[in-house]
Amino acid sequence: MSTQVGNEDSVVIDVSGLTKEFGRTVALQGASLTVARGEIVVLLGLSGSGKSTLLRHLDGLETPTSGSVRVLGQEVPRLTGRRLRALRSRMGFVFQQFDLVPSLTVLENVLTGALSELRGPRIGLWSYPKRLKLTALGHLDRVGLLDRAYQRADTLSGGQQQRVAIARALMQDPEILLADEPVASLDPESSEQVMSLIREIAMDEGLTVVCSLHQVDLALSWGDRIVGLRHGEVVLDTPAEGLSKAEVMEIYGRVATSTTELEAIEVELSDAAADAAAETHLADGALRS
Amino acid sequence: MSLITATPPAPSAPPPAPSPSIADRAPRRRVSPERIAAILALGAIVVASVIALADSGISIPSMIESWGNAERFFARVGTITFPEPGELVYLTALTIGLVLCGTLLAAVISVPIAYLAASNTTPGRGWQAFGRFVTVLTRAIPDVVLAMVFVLMFSLGSLPGILAIGIHSIGMIAKLFADAIEQIDEGPRRAIRAAGGSKLQEFTSGILPQVLPSWVATVLHRNDINLRGSVVLGYVGVVGLGMEMSFAFKSLNYSEGLGIALVMFALCVVMEIVSSVVRQAMLGGAPTGRGLGDRVVRLAGRAGAKRGVETTPVARPAVSHDLDAALRRPWDAVRIRNTVWGWLAFAVVVGSVLVCNIQWGDLITFWAKVPEIAVQFWPPSFGNYDAATMFGAMAQTIGIALAATLLAFVVSVFVGSLAARNVAPNGTVRTSMRLLLVVIRGIPEVILAIVLIVITGLGSQAGTLALAFGGIGLLGKLIADSFEEVKPGPERALRATGASRGQVYASATLPQGTRALIGHSFYLLDTNIRAATILGIVGGGGIGYYLLNAGQGSNYAVVTAIVLMILVTVLIVEGIAMWMRRVFK
Repeated sequence: MSTQVGNEDSVVIDVSGLTKEFGRTVALQGASLTVARGEIVVLLGLSGSGKSTLLRHLDGLETPTSGSVRVLGQEVPRLTGRRLRALRSRMGFVFQQFDLVPSLTVLENVLTGALSELRGPRIGLWSYPKRLKLTALGHLDRVGLLDRAYQRADTLSGGQQQRVAIARALMQDPEILLADEPVASLDPESSEQVMSLIREIAMDEGLTVVCSLHQVDLALSWGDRIVGLRHGEVVLDTPAEGLSKAEVMEIYGRVATSTTELEAIEVELSDAAADAAAETHLADGALRS
Repeated sequence: MSLITATPPAPSAPPPAPSPSIADRAPRRRVSPERIAAILALGAIVVASVIALADSGISIPSMIESWGNAERFFARVGTITFPEPGELVYLTALTIGLVLCGTLLAAVISVPIAYLAASNTTPGRGWQAFGRFVTVLTRAIPDVVLAMVFVLMFSLGSLPGILAIGIHSIGMIAKLFADAIEQIDEGPRRAIRAAGGSKLQEFTSGILPQVLPSWVATVLHRNDINLRGSVVLGYVGVVGLGMEMSFAFKSLNYSEGLGIALVMFALCVVMEIVSSVVRQAMLGGAPTGRGLGDRVVRLAGRAGAKRGVETTPVARPAVSHDLDAALRRPWDAVRIRNTVWGWLAFAVVVGSVLVCNIQWGDLITFWAKVPEIAVQFWPPSFGNYDAATMFGAMAQTIGIALAATLLAFVVSVFVGSLAARNVAPNGTVRTSMRLLLVVIRGIPEVILAIVLIVITGLGSQAGTLALAFGGIGLLGKLIADSFEEVKPGPERALRATGASRGQVYASATLPQGTRALIGHSFYLLDTNIRAATILGIVGGGGIGYYLLNAGQGSNYAVVTAIVLMILVTVLIVEGIAMWMRRVFK
């Protein structure tokens, strides 16, 4: 139930009591989350904790089993067709696997971010207005890849592809940026680049960011606020400042049901990249089309 | 480079305002000359297809007119009749037996060829080239031509048909066998080598178990194709239903000809169902394919499961440490089933060989005739025909293939896209489109062409339509499958930007599927050129007509010349297709 009515201006995301079941698997269990405009929030959790599922609900890529998801003042699950697309166009989404179209040029990939403001299908660079092409080139310049504009997307490295994906999201001129494990498939150096780029852009544009991560250190140093998820429940919601890794681990420990589970957390936290990938696949299967 | 550099962007301008020089600083777009050439070539082929289609005279009025022809035809024919039951059963058994023997022959020969041609098993580059060469060559020579040659060399009987099918099928079977070998997990094989296994053991224990399911599916698939093709073999003198049908039509006994065609249609459908049952029995689990046979088997399986027939769980015996007892494998349901199927398959093969009544002696005596006949085939010449006629006929055949491919392409992109899960607006549309494709594929196109040509009396037009129709079944399915296989990530990413269904299709699905689209279309063109040749043999115009005439008139030099023309055409098309696939990857 939304307790934030009247705060439309400051509260951009208001999730309450969100439950999602995939068959017999419960991905989210009564999760609640409120995000104010301009906040930079990290969703922290292990693979399977429900981070991705929560993010997808925000963009209407999943339908909740029960609960409410309000984004930018609209109840997302109630929207369909044109109105859902209109809401989506106000949110940029950056995915773990970048999800560029491999056979298209970098520039055309960025341009696809503007499809929602165009009518009808587009094939080829010529089908986009010059105005948008210039804007897209500007965004490519911003992410430092202007010189790659006419290369095929699959000729770029992972970090570069993710920067192209960020440029694509910027094409939407979004108010909110959602990022699902944006650096889980990248090496440490590229991760650093991509994460600081997201933060920099968010500060400059005053974007609201919700980003899921599994690395505790990165989450603490990067986010303003940490929201911890476990078994589909929110178990932690606190400002990042002053929080230590030990405290985070302790909070996870308190809700863990046994010591073996606690050990599992440590192991998983240290090499969760692969698991995060697996999680993506799991969720892909059930993705609403 | 132009003057738009300072254009103020629309209201939704991004804060990093494009600096005045952004268009200048952006790199120039470079398109490789090869890509331009490929696009031009593709354009030329499309233009040629449009011209061929316009030339073919296919139009609504002519279709209506041919409908009138059909009505008159049926008025004249009266009822459809069949051969005597005993005769019919024998002919059916003979046709099936002959096709099975041919396919099995090809399968056996294909194993070593595939071993040589697969990059991970070949003993050396030379061997690999040899293996590849054999697959290309055997695929390029139409089985009809082989049959014509073998009919000359053997006393009448089933051997020419078996050998023609057997040799021609090597091309496809060995190629797919080799592809399967190349896709195996190398681990088990390495483990056997590490344990000191021989090369042969590596193959039998490391490779064979991995590739067997795919190999079985390949052989069964080819068997279906061969059954469909066996009709045409009848036109050049291979015994079976096809020959009876050609006799009936030649003696203007249309009612019996149509009757046999009907039997052939039914046989193809039954064979597809049987293939599916066999696949299921050998590979276990419900078939996941979308062919007619697979669907029937799944339905039957569901009905069976509902009646609770085969779902009784087998009780596991308690664990015993008696090794002697453990040595005897219990006769559980799986073992019984496997054994029954194994013996059944063996019986079918033996039955096929028996019903074919193979004159084994011919295999020894025919070598004596080889030199004598071989010299008649060389050197190639156009005989009494002038070159212009022959090239014109070849051009007509290519025209039929191009027109049929274009027609099939246009319809297939539409139907195939809507049959893809990720493109179809809802399940109903997808299911009905899939069903449509299945039904179309169930109809053997060459038999359809024969019937259409006989009924409407219009040679190349009826042939083109039949090929186009069959092409939709093939291309539509391939398009639907490859669109469903594209990475879902980009589609999801575009949906997340708020793009509409059509936009997601055009910007994410289509670009990812383009390569497959081009590849599949050329594959269809390739098969259509071969099929168009065959159309001529059954009365559809083009080079096939001259091929049949030359064969029946014993002008073997002309046969060679025509076969060479067909070979060159097919190889050129295949070359262009390979080039396109490379450029548009």
